[in-house]
Amino acid sequence: MKTIKLKKESVQLVKEVLKDIKASPDLGIYKCVQCGMCTSVCPGAKETDYDPRDMIRRVLEDDETVVDDDNIWNCFSCYTCNSVCPCGNNASEINQILRQMSIDKGEGMKKIVSFAAYGDSFMELGVGSIPSNFFDVMVKDIGPGYMDLKINIEDIRTDLGLGSYILPEKAIDEVESILDNSGFKDRLEKIKRCK
Amino acid sequence: MKFIPDKDILLFKSCLVNVEYPGVESSTSYIFDRIDVEYYVDERQSCCTGLGHYYDLFDQISTTALAARNFHLAAETGHKNIAVMCATCYAILKKSAKILNQNEEARNKVNQILDDSNLEKREYTLDDMDPTLNIFHVAEIFYNKRDEISSLVKVDLSSLRVATHHACHYCKVHYNDTIEGVRDPNLIDKLAEAVGVETIGWYDHKTVTCGAGFRQRFTNKEASLAVTAEKLQALKDNKVDLLLHMCPNCQMQFDRYQPYIEEKLDTEFNIFHLNISQFIALALGADPYKILGIQTHTVPIEPLLKRLNYSLETNEKIDVEAKKSPN
Amino acid sequence: MNPDSSKDISNKDLKIGVFLCRCGGNISDTVDMEKLRSSVDAEVVEEFENLCSINGRKIIRDSIIQKNLDRVVVAACSPITHEKTFQKYINPLNPYLLEMANLREQCSWVNPDVETATEKAISLVNASIEKVKYAQPLDPILRKTTKSAAVIGGGISGISASLSLARQGIKTCLIEEQPTIGGAMVKVGKLFSPEKLAEECAMCLLNPLVNEAVEHKNIKIMTNTTLKAAERRSGNFHLLIESKPRKVIEEKCISCGKCAEVCPVEVKDSWNEDMTFRKAIYKPFAQAVPDVYTIDLENCKNCGKCQEVCRMNAIDLDMEGEVIPMTVGSVVIATGHKTFDMDKRPEYSYGRHDDIVTQMELARIMGVNGPTKGKLLKPSNNKIPERVVMVQCVGSRDEKPGGRKYCSKVCCMVAIKHANVIKQHYPDTDVIICYTDMRTPGMYEKYFKYAQSNGVRLIRGRPGEVAEKDGIFTVRLEDTLSKEPLEIEADLVVLSTAMEPSDGTINVSGLLDVGLTEELFVKEKHSKIKPVATEVDGVYVCGTAQGPKDITDSIVQANAAAAKISELINGGVELEPFVASIDQSKCTLCKKCIDICKYKAAYIQDGILTVDPISCTGCGACIWECENNAIEIMGQTDEQIIATIDGMLKDKKPDEKRIIAFLDSVGYVSADNIGINKITVPSSVRIIKIPSMNRIMPKHILHAFKMGADGIIMGEYPYNPMYSHTKEKIAGLKGELVKNNINPDRLAFYKVYIPYFRGLANKFKEFDGEIKCLDTP
Repeated sequence: MKTIKLKKESVQLVKEVLKDIKASPDLGIYKCVQCGMCTSVCPGAKETDYDPRDMIRRVLEDDETVVDDDNIWNCFSCYTCNSVCPCGNNASEINQILRQMSIDKGEGMKKIVSFAAYGDSFMELGVGSIPSNFFDVMVKDIGPGYMDLKINIEDIRTDLGLGSYILPEKAIDEVESILDNSGFKDRLEKIKRCK
Repeated sequence: MKFIPDKDILLFKSCLVNVEYPGVESSTSYIFDRIDVEYYVDERQSCCTGLGHYYDLFDQISTTALAARNFHLAAETGHKNIAVMCATCYAILKKSAKILNQNEEARNKVNQILDDSNLEKREYTLDDMDPTLNIFHVAEIFYNKRDEISSLVKVDLSSLRVATHHACHYCKVHYNDTIEGVRDPNLIDKLAEAVGVETIGWYDHKTVTCGAGFRQRFTNKEASLAVTAEKLQALKDNKVDLLLHMCPNCQMQFDRYQPYIEEKLDTEFNIFHLNISQFIALALGADPYKILGIQTHTVPIEPLLKRLNYSLETNEKIDVEAKKSPN
Repeated sequence: MNPDSSKDISNKDLKIGVFLCRCGGNISDTVDMEKLRSSVDAEVVEEFENLCSINGRKIIRDSIIQKNLDRVVVAACSPITHEKTFQKYINPLNPYLLEMANLREQCSWVNPDVETATEKAISLVNASIEKVKYAQPLDPILRKTTKSAAVIGGGISGISASLSLARQGIKTCLIEEQPTIGGAMVKVGKLFSPEKLAEECAMCLLNPLVNEAVEHKNIKIMTNTTLKAAERRSGNFHLLIESKPRKVIEEKCISCGKCAEVCPVEVKDSWNEDMTFRKAIYKPFAQAVPDVYTIDLENCKNCGKCQEVCRMNAIDLDMEGEVIPMTVGSVVIATGHKTFDMDKRPEYSYGRHDDIVTQMELARIMGVNGPTKGKLLKPSNNKIPERVVMVQCVGSRDEKPGGRKYCSKVCCMVAIKHANVIKQHYPDTDVIICYTDMRTPGMYEKYFKYAQSNGVRLIRGRPGEVAEKDGIFTVRLEDTLSKEPLEIEADLVVLSTAMEPSDGTINVSGLLDVGLTEELFVKEKHSKIKPVATEVDGVYVCGTAQGPKDITDSIVQANAAAAKISELINGGVELEPFVASIDQSKCTLCKKCIDICKYKAAYIQDGILTVDPISCTGCGACIWECENNAIEIMGQTDEQIIATIDGMLKDKKPDEKRIIAFLDSVGYVSADNIGINKITVPSSVRIIKIPSMNRIMPKHILHAFKMGADGIIMGEYPYNPMYSHTKEKIAGLKGELVKNNINPDRLAFYKVYIPYFRGLANKFKEFDGEIKCLDTP
């Protein structure tokens, strides 16, 4: 049986969530009435075992295991929950906060290591791109035309009158320096070590 | 409604527009040039981090620090109104501007990062960027000048059965800033109307995500494509010819994966996909290859143009008078 | 405002009697009465054990007569306790020529030290002496309002209020915008009784009331009319009522209906929630009152066919509207509600499919006088539905743009009622109610249980959307109890839409200057103790104009509003005369005072700025706005305030600290509570009662500092309508201090509440400490 004890020693998860930099000042998590409207419009809930309403309940009930729950990785970040929540809550935003908590704990890094190449390309070019490790399967799914596109993209851009999309060297240096000083570079290395 | 500018605009480059649908950018420029929008593209501008951000790879501070740099570039060249072609850029930049304005601790941290990077000059000062009044989607800029767009239409597209897919990160993240509807979004429906095309309006799943779900497309492909397939089916049920987009990631999900889904489900959707910029440019008489960039599409656009009696060889459109009897 | 008999006597010549009360030791045990007596400079100084006793009355009265006193100071308990008593005791003097010094609650009970208590007592008595010198003989204001009322809105609330007023002999005009009275109640079909667990016919309950209203000699029913303009004149209201031309002569029409038969124009019939059609000449429903036809001006094509068939010559297509002026004593706003605009929640597909309806539409479908004569048939195909799914909280309890944050209060009961009616007549039809919380308080819970036992199904979850495919609806939600996303198939979907303030509610409130809530319902003066009064005295509200509520509550409120009007008419009102007085020779009619006054007490009548004493609280905010010094507050004139300050600071010793505390009436009671609870207060504190912080101006503050005050603290109750400017005022006053080289920290502000007297006592201590620190080099 679960007991709500008189004295609560551990940190309260909901307070941690609200303190997070991502948490909007008007985030209405305390006002949640568990109506399930978020879940009713959630593509993740439809296709997987993710349940944003239940995720919010667990945060409010200080159930820290929600951070380790694989299901939080099934959110599509489509914010449909946010656009309808009658209580002014934002399950999508809270999901992102929980994921970051999971990454900070280390467990979540395993979930994102396959996207690390995005970080490398960003540091190198100042522009993001779909991680190269997914490229093969994309060509397989989409067809060889996708490969041709990747090969010819610079020419196509020229035909369209567009210049290079890669930043000038000085700009890339600025971006790299910012990402170094923001701690992103270290974070990326840590994530990559998870392999 | 909020004020929408037509000058001092930084046309914000998007990573996916760059390499997937560069025609969106050339189409946007094509339209801007014709409706008298003063804009600038800054080669120094970095990517918003959007994909990485929603892969959870980026942390909020890094994203915000890069946004602060881009905000400074915009102001530096006198183009502090940012217009994006990608809905995720839209949401990411607004979120960053809100954090920079509302969260003093985060602002100081970002400025410290900029200082440490010898970029003191790019420090962010409170309210440098107004998330509501300085950050727009290009569709909003078009919307503001839809009368001018109407007056420039050269190609009759009204024979097409058109539906719209409004990007989640435009409609649902900062919903107080969204124009023409959140729960029944009609911004690009209105733009289609401006070029003489009555869309089908509401359909089941109109507000549902494209299904990309950032990581979901790669780590949860079946779930991701199931969402896309359901929406495609709803569109097919409505006998839609063409789906209009306002975000390159949505466009990818539908255009790149439609043939794959068709094969998996052993069905045919036969739905064309165009970005709203490409669609307007087409209506204004732009060249499909030199401006719209349809050569980067996976679902070929040529059959659609053929239906419109577009002569592809000469890249000349048949004028409205000449195509009285379609097909 | 009153003839001033004493103005020619100079203040110095006034004979003042001071009467000190020992209060059975309550005062004299702590205050050195001997020293106090010798320190007071007055014509007469008397001391007595219990001044409030009958013997005290004799002493005071004898002195007044024998010594020919002009003014009286009673130094005793708090004026809250006995001011009224002593006002009577000083007869034959005018009762307002009395001042009281609060030696008990605010001196002896809070200062255990004899020396400082005595010092304080002396200054309190001095302050009263100084102030009473400027007292003017005043009369309490007596007001009676005209014995008539206008009730705006002819729904169940307006009809009930009119009947109650009429039965009490009050001439009442019932003003209704529609061609018929009855409002929403005539449309709902069935009402339910939680006691009898049964449904009754709404029309059968309403009709006797309507008939009585029609017959009653004191009620004039004016349909097809709206309020056009309203002006308030010291208790009465001048209204302009605009009537739309009915184009049918009421006296002639026999309601035969021949006109409608020939009318070629078909219009959606709002009586049936637009589910059927009517003609451009119509009677809304069979039992409509008045029982006459009306031409719908928007849709009539003036073809004249109706005129040709009317044997009574009752149709006058040239009839014009008129504007009718009237004066009434009171007004009741009973303008009702409207239903939520479903365009704001497009995900429920309302308007896209005929078989997605609102509860009101379902009520019409199930009403015996509705489009299907009471049969539950789907609008699309006239078939009995297999499953009805009801969606609760549509637009209610919804913080998103376009939504309503409040609970609409009746929808749970309405859904249960309709579910029960369906289950009784169509037991094979499945009924599911999708809810977040079922709110069925009190006896309604019994009716809820009754629904459950009838087989009505309940699923806990708020649907996100309703989709349609091949004529079947899918309601998408999460069953939050079984924790799974769920799609319910249905062939009739019923939306329990929010109640919103009607356009009439918003318009009429604007015309009457009545405040609205954030949600644009009419705001009550106080939600607990003044539930039917509005911010404008003489204007009352009842029914759904004030907020979502059911028929029972609407009738209760209607009767309460009528009772309040009756009070006003029969009892009249006796008011303290401490209100704003205008020097007409100085007033330039700039209207700034009118703009600032949240009580709407000031207005211009016949080119003269007039103050309605019923509304004015004497707060003094208008004085700040008046550039010509044309306004004074009776009983709180500048002279009186300055004199009180002077008295409080008189004979201050060089090493002594004195703090003036200006407290409003709430703060003053709170300060009395400090005394009643015997909490010690720094001896430096001297309390002056003011009507509101708005009364205290920079000149008063600067004067106090000039006369030796070491600190000033102001206390105000934050929930008064004029509170909003307080922050700016304090900042402004502090700014004045800086300009005059006075440390702004010497001025403090505190929010006062009657029960939080300990907080006020602590604030006094804290501020006293701060002042001491400031003066410590």
